[in-house]
Amino acid sequence: MTASIRQRWQRWWQSRHPRNDTWTLTQRNIYIVPTRAGFFFAAVLLVMLVAAINYQLNLGYVLTFLLAGAGFVSMHLTHNTLRGLTLHLRPPASGFAGQAVPIEVVLSSPTRLQHGIGLTLDAHDDLLASPAVPSVFVDVPAGGQVVAHLAFVPPHRGLHELPGLRAETRYPFGLFRAWTVWRPASRVLAWPAPEKPMAALPSQPEMAGESRQRRASDSGEFEGVRAYRRGDALQRVVWKKAARTGELVSRDVSSSRQQELWLDWQAAHVAGTEARLARLAAWVLAAEAAGVAHGLRLPGVEIAPGSGLAQRRRSLDALAMWS
Amino acid sequence: MRWLPRWPGWAHLPRDARDVLFLLAVIAWTLAPHFDHLPLWAPVLTVVVVLWRARLAVANAALPGRWPLGGVLLLAMGLTWWSHRTLLGKDAGITMLVVLMVLKTLELRARRDAMVVFFLGFFIVLTNFLYSQTIAVAAAMLVSVWGLLTALVLAHMPVGRPPLARAGAVAGRAALLGAPIMIALFVLFPRMAPLWAVPQDTQAKTGLSGSLRMGGIAELALDESIAFRVRFEGGARPPAQALYWRGPVLARFDGIEWNRLEPAYASAPRRGAQLQVGGTPLAYEMTLEPNRLPLLPLLEATPAGDADAPRTDGLRAFLRSDLQWQTERAVTERLRLTARAYLEHRHGPQRDDGSLADHTDLPPGYNPRTLAWAEALRREPRYAQATPQQLVDTVLAYIRRGFTYTLTPGTYGDEAEGLFAIDEFWLDRKQGFCEHFSTAFVVVMRALDVPARIVTGFQGADPELQDGWHVVRNSHAHAWAEVWLENRGWVRVDPTAAVAPERVVASRSLRAQPGVVAGAIAAVNPALMVQLRRAFEQLDNRWSQWVLNYSRSQQFDLLKNVGVRAPTWEDLAYLLIGLLSSASLVGAAWAWWDRHRRDPWQRLRARIDRRLARLGVSVLVHEAPRSLALRVRAQFGDAGEALARQLEAFDAMRYGRAASVLPERGWWAGFVAAGKALKEPLATAALR
Repeated sequence: MTASIRQRWQRWWQSRHPRNDTWTLTQRNIYIVPTRAGFFFAAVLLVMLVAAINYQLNLGYVLTFLLAGAGFVSMHLTHNTLRGLTLHLRPPASGFAGQAVPIEVVLSSPTRLQHGIGLTLDAHDDLLASPAVPSVFVDVPAGGQVVAHLAFVPPHRGLHELPGLRAETRYPFGLFRAWTVWRPASRVLAWPAPEKPMAALPSQPEMAGESRQRRASDSGEFEGVRAYRRGDALQRVVWKKAARTGELVSRDVSSSRQQELWLDWQAAHVAGTEARLARLAAWVLAAEAAGVAHGLRLPGVEIAPGSGLAQRRRSLDALAMWS
Repeated sequence: MRWLPRWPGWAHLPRDARDVLFLLAVIAWTLAPHFDHLPLWAPVLTVVVVLWRARLAVANAALPGRWPLGGVLLLAMGLTWWSHRTLLGKDAGITMLVVLMVLKTLELRARRDAMVVFFLGFFIVLTNFLYSQTIAVAAAMLVSVWGLLTALVLAHMPVGRPPLARAGAVAGRAALLGAPIMIALFVLFPRMAPLWAVPQDTQAKTGLSGSLRMGGIAELALDESIAFRVRFEGGARPPAQALYWRGPVLARFDGIEWNRLEPAYASAPRRGAQLQVGGTPLAYEMTLEPNRLPLLPLLEATPAGDADAPRTDGLRAFLRSDLQWQTERAVTERLRLTARAYLEHRHGPQRDDGSLADHTDLPPGYNPRTLAWAEALRREPRYAQATPQQLVDTVLAYIRRGFTYTLTPGTYGDEAEGLFAIDEFWLDRKQGFCEHFSTAFVVVMRALDVPARIVTGFQGADPELQDGWHVVRNSHAHAWAEVWLENRGWVRVDPTAAVAPERVVASRSLRAQPGVVAGAIAAVNPALMVQLRRAFEQLDNRWSQWVLNYSRSQQFDLLKNVGVRAPTWEDLAYLLIGLLSSASLVGAAWAWWDRHRRDPWQRLRARIDRRLARLGVSVLVHEAPRSLALRVRAQFGDAGEALARQLEAFDAMRYGRAASVLPERGWWAGFVAAGKALKEPLATAALR
């Protein structure tokens, strides 16, 4: 019974908060309640009113009512602080599971300068979520934008939906708390957390005989050089020459093609799927760091050898999505 | 350790330090008016803690731990107990509040602590009104409230280093927007009697609080506000010297202070006033301003008979045996009453019935030289057989010879804890006003074995009538004496009249010497001084009329003006609730209407698109205004030139080098005009 009610509530809640990368705050999606300080303020006003009555102080009435008026107006001011703001999520980067992935939210205010807006990535998407202290505060300039930097830690590899994002404010008097819950549509891809400490890179049994010898004889003598192309690994840039001439020059791919390394599911001798993926991820990073061209072989997936950030990304994405 | 940290300059102060210094300044400003009536150690503690906290803020040093703070708090509680003999009650409570507020500044760790400071601050602002509700105090406290609200706003601006002025503007704006609510509540919130009895100690506005010590009435000399207004039936104008408005009668003297004589035990025989009246009754109508005292200062003598007794609605009054009219509770709102008085009257026992012994008591040890002076008078052969009446005349003659009437006699009894205060006045300095004359006279009479007591009240009235009303001000407060004579009862003797007859005959009210500034202005430009004084009096009068004395009767008058025939407090409540709910509805409606608010540029762009679509120009969302201009030119040729120009102007306004933040006013009108100009030839073309 309660489960069905909760389900229904969840469904209603999610339909009220469709996933979207741009969220404009209006009357309909801002909630406001008095804070604990607000209730305390009301109690103080009540005591002051009783004092004014008992001592028949007309200025006491004036003071009490002045504060009551200001407190009431502050409710509208708090609500106004959020109303009209637009939140926009920049496409989030990918990151490793268990490590913080930066999330950038752009807040823009069409009209006024808005103060003291706190943002939290909240695990709850419930109306009655417990109000944790916001992790970051921003002021939004009039007619301008500001970027708030948040962090999301994906628990495991794979594609993650972002948890509900809460924007709240208590400005100006802290008597009321206005907030909104936004469920961004963009998802974060989490790569498997690389194994630590890393097992040694596999040797290349498939590279045998003459080619290996040739590479050994070649390696010290000559390497082809060509102009830098976007996507070349940084390790391949001839920095000495770049420092001398001011031009970026890369070692020719062909010369290091012989160093290609296959990172194979079968070669990762460790129990458990996730552990294997973790080892492969660590190997991808190590191969890339060493400047070795690397390919990836998973059951059902094969990525041709290559190097550079694009290759690294391709490999890690494959590891993240493999199932 | 350096005691004074380096001052980096206001602009270079870290934000936290700046906010703390600002809050400390506001707190000091709020507490300062209390310094006058706190025990001496509390202001000292306040100043020390505030300075120390400021030093910690500038030096960015750590706050003290909880244990030392707790120690100081305990010490302060002990001192409060030592000063007030209690921790409850108004004065002790205020002392504790001040101490808590000050110590809390040493504990500003979390936001919750800051909130506690703000709310304590608001409450302390209120307590200031217990002591004074003048315009100056109200203005000072308005500054306090503004400062506290500003600090509250600052605490909720967590980013960067917002300027104080911006926070102040936000706080002021909230208060101003809340002002209509405040006014509605103030005007309509039903005024009610105190919910429970509160100690009526120092809140008496006049000196007629049932006790008198030298210097007590002097404060009243400054108070030109109206105590009550009186109108006599048939336009009678009794002479000013006959107008004695009777207040508390003081017969118990402890050497310093005069108090009422209360029966030692509850079952003491009540004798009643024993009042006999004669002559024609003088009917009068009185409007009493709220004086926060449980008494009616009625004309001597107003008897308790059915036809004569004061008729008031809602407040019961009774006549004490000392002829003073007492009410069941303090008069806290304007009171209208009618009564009848008899200027010819006689009261008190005709023979000594044993009630007079208390009236010849003198505390031993006080004023020995005055007592010796009386003894010497007694021993003179010509007074050996003198009747009390002759003794009274003799003493009045003594007063008439060498005394001066002045409102600024300085203070008496500074030495030896007031042991010789009356000696000093009676034999040495011989300067004073009513309270000095009456107290000394009563002491001398008692030393001569003549029963005597002090009566406090008001004497006289303003010489000019105000709309047919006699105006009696607080500065008309007076103290006189009564002696008991056999066969005549208690007889009024006003020793002040002996030395300053004009005080009583012309009914000149007490008026203090002007202060230094006022004196200087008066010396340079007397006309300006008069003008300033008049303007201030007018302002002060409005203040007390509209703010301080605004009470239920004014509320009911207001309701009658609105059209309610027999107003009750429920009507007030309904009106208030109705007003507030409609205000809330208006607010909600505005928010609902406002819900589609968008960027003004986007809104304008949407209107442009609609207008162009009506002209038959197809528009894509992503197109810049200048491409729209090209399209208009292509479609209409020269006829569309004006419209295209207008679109280019929009482009420059939005994206050009001198782009403005908001669309310029008037542009839209130009655009509409251009659109219409284009439409007419189109229409004619279509007709053709």
